[in-house]
Amino acid sequence: MFKYKRTGIRNLAIALIFTVAIIALGAILDPYNQGQLAVVSMLFIGVLSVTLLTGTSGQISLGQGALMAVGGYASALTILNLGLSIWFALVMAIIVSALAGLLLGFAAARLTGPYLAGTTLVLALALPSLAIRFESVLGGDVGLNVDFGNPPAWLVSAFGEIGYEQWQLYATVPLTCLALLATANILSSRTGRMWRAIRDHESAASLMGINVSNNKIFTFVVSSGFAGLSGALYGLRGIVGPSVYPISLSLLLLTGAILGGLRSIAGALIGSALVVFLPDLIEWATRPLALSEQIGNYLPGLIGGVLLHLTVILNPGGIAHALHRHKNK
Amino acid sequence: MKFHPSLSKPGFLTLVAGLAVGALALSSLPANAASDPGVTDTEIVLGMQLPQSGPASPGYNKVDDAMRAYFDYVNSKGGVNGRMIRLEVKDDAYKAGLTVSTASSLINKEKVFAFVGSVGTQTHISVIKDINRRGIPDIFVNSGYSGFYTDPKKYPNSFGDLGTYVVEAKILGKYLKETYGDKKIGILYQTDDFGRNAVAGFATAGLKFTPKETAATFIAGTQGSLGLVSQMSQLKAAGVEVVIIAAVSSASAVAISTAAKIGYAPKKWAIISVGADATTIQGLLYAGGVPFATSAAMLTGVISASHAPAAGDSSDEFVTAFKKINDDFNKGPSKAWDNNVLQGMNTAYLTTEALFGVGKNLTRKALVSYLETKGSSLSSAALVPLGYSKATHEAYTGFWVGAYDASTVLKPVGTDRVVYTTDSGSGPVTVSTYKRPAMPVDALPKGA
Repeated sequence: MFKYKRTGIRNLAIALIFTVAIIALGAILDPYNQGQLAVVSMLFIGVLSVTLLTGTSGQISLGQGALMAVGGYASALTILNLGLSIWFALVMAIIVSALAGLLLGFAAARLTGPYLAGTTLVLALALPSLAIRFESVLGGDVGLNVDFGNPPAWLVSAFGEIGYEQWQLYATVPLTCLALLATANILSSRTGRMWRAIRDHESAASLMGINVSNNKIFTFVVSSGFAGLSGALYGLRGIVGPSVYPISLSLLLLTGAILGGLRSIAGALIGSALVVFLPDLIEWATRPLALSEQIGNYLPGLIGGVLLHLTVILNPGGIAHALHRHKNK
Repeated sequence: MKFHPSLSKPGFLTLVAGLAVGALALSSLPANAASDPGVTDTEIVLGMQLPQSGPASPGYNKVDDAMRAYFDYVNSKGGVNGRMIRLEVKDDAYKAGLTVSTASSLINKEKVFAFVGSVGTQTHISVIKDINRRGIPDIFVNSGYSGFYTDPKKYPNSFGDLGTYVVEAKILGKYLKETYGDKKIGILYQTDDFGRNAVAGFATAGLKFTPKETAATFIAGTQGSLGLVSQMSQLKAAGVEVVIIAAVSSASAVAISTAAKIGYAPKKWAIISVGADATTIQGLLYAGGVPFATSAAMLTGVISASHAPAAGDSSDEFVTAFKKINDDFNKGPSKAWDNNVLQGMNTAYLTTEALFGVGKNLTRKALVSYLETKGSSLSSAALVPLGYSKATHEAYTGFWVGAYDASTVLKPVGTDRVVYTTDSGSGPVTVSTYKRPAMPVDALPKGA
């Protein structure tokens, strides 16, 4: 009993340290990197959804981007149609996307491996058509205009001038902190152990008395809620629409999760930072070469793809796993 | 594999610290002495975003190189009031999520003075509010979506660079109705504001379409993967004799080649100007195995409209001058002269004219106010004036209707080139009386 309590407090402490570190970082960075860091914080939640779903319970989803879109649309409609604040909208995003995850979970509980991957991929592909089909509500191809708005007066009076990017970051980080804490607690709880048991051997888990299909559905619900929150925040950067959540976004989340380390929270953070900052890093590194746009524009995709292949072949545990192994030598 | 569920590892803290150091290393802080960012005594930095890669890029990816070529020409003549113009370009691949990041990069990293000539309706929607609330001029936007310009209170700093799709569709629609009123007219359009604005304009001109029958739609960006087969089959089955296309050039190319493949030969094609660039269409058809001679024959007789002289009109002084500048200064990967290059050159020409017009004391406010008050007297290659005023920021107020000849040059449909003018509302279509001022000798405008 005492041990559980200690784990909980430790998780809380680390989540808080993470939050303070990001906020401190936000105060010293220039606006562009504040914006990029905000994207890292948003995608971190999305990558955590992959960590839970794929890394922990072993279910592959290629459609997390679509669940992000569900969250995005839920929050945008809450803001635009009900006139509620972005905070209510974010709660709504979690609820609606979790419900979508529940539906998806019923299908997922019966599917495995490539069949599940295919089903979720179709979801991501179908999104633009849905947005067009229900255009009067979802705004069609153009999407719905929403944003974080201006920083609240109390924050400005407490901390002085706050830029738009800085406000994006500060509005996102507390939620990232909660997602981080929730993931850490789930993973170190009985639920997390059940999910891992299912991932490692379904029949064995079942023999130990774990209800496999219920747990699979539950994983989908939780993971979808995370994806929805991430998508709502991502949409609040300016617009919710099909071109914000393309199929490549689903693959980006998976790439981030695999590069960083599919089975660890630190890996999810490393992966999110990597996919966001990699293009900037490549641009910075190749600037002296003055590459033509025809090469430069495709380099991030190419290098990301090569890194992904190398990770799967040479270091399947991802960067987090490699760092840990190195330290324990 | 050993699994480590908690965050207990000191590695996590090291990681956060590492992230901090990494992000700091990435940040660069160029300081500016002038009051507005992007302007110094020696330089003006302008920003632009467009699809340089991805399905929507063909054709449009030449606009930035053309603009840079003209600015380089201006710089070679001493710049604008001693300031050299530098154009910073970002590729958003036509993904709105990415546009938000590239805009932030242009604003915060490159510290641009103004956005100029950005391409794309969907993508620009994602950033237009942010650009405007920061007070950054957003001039000569290469989107014909009227919603950006008709309410300057909403977007005070955004100014258009194309005639709106409504204006073009009204003028084109009037011509089609008068000429092909006895034929069955149908439309293929992309389901975004571009397509819808065009449909609204045609409706004002009295051309109505029936969904699933004479109106075929597709989602912008899917033309390549889906091939528009069901759309063209639908129009064929409906017996449509005159097909209007309101879509990007890459979609026009797909529509024309797919129609040929399924044995559908409408009597007439009419394409909204932004989707009717002959060079782009021919290039894409060539990549699909259609020789240039065949595609030229396919395009012959296709109807379109323009607010500017045809790119192939070698008797026009602007075309000749821009072509020369393009040959001398364009360093882009594909600098072949076409409508996109002409449009880019003209955008840069107008920008230069406006920057000269504002004068030495260049501020963001001064530029916006200059365009509102003097913008309508700026002259360029266009055959109609800009419609800028305090009430609207719509660009070109008129078009002339033409058809491609055998060498894919747009030629007037009648014996003379008649330029029509109208508004984005329900106003009538009338003949324009505008006389374009002559071009300065060195193709360097010094402001209205």
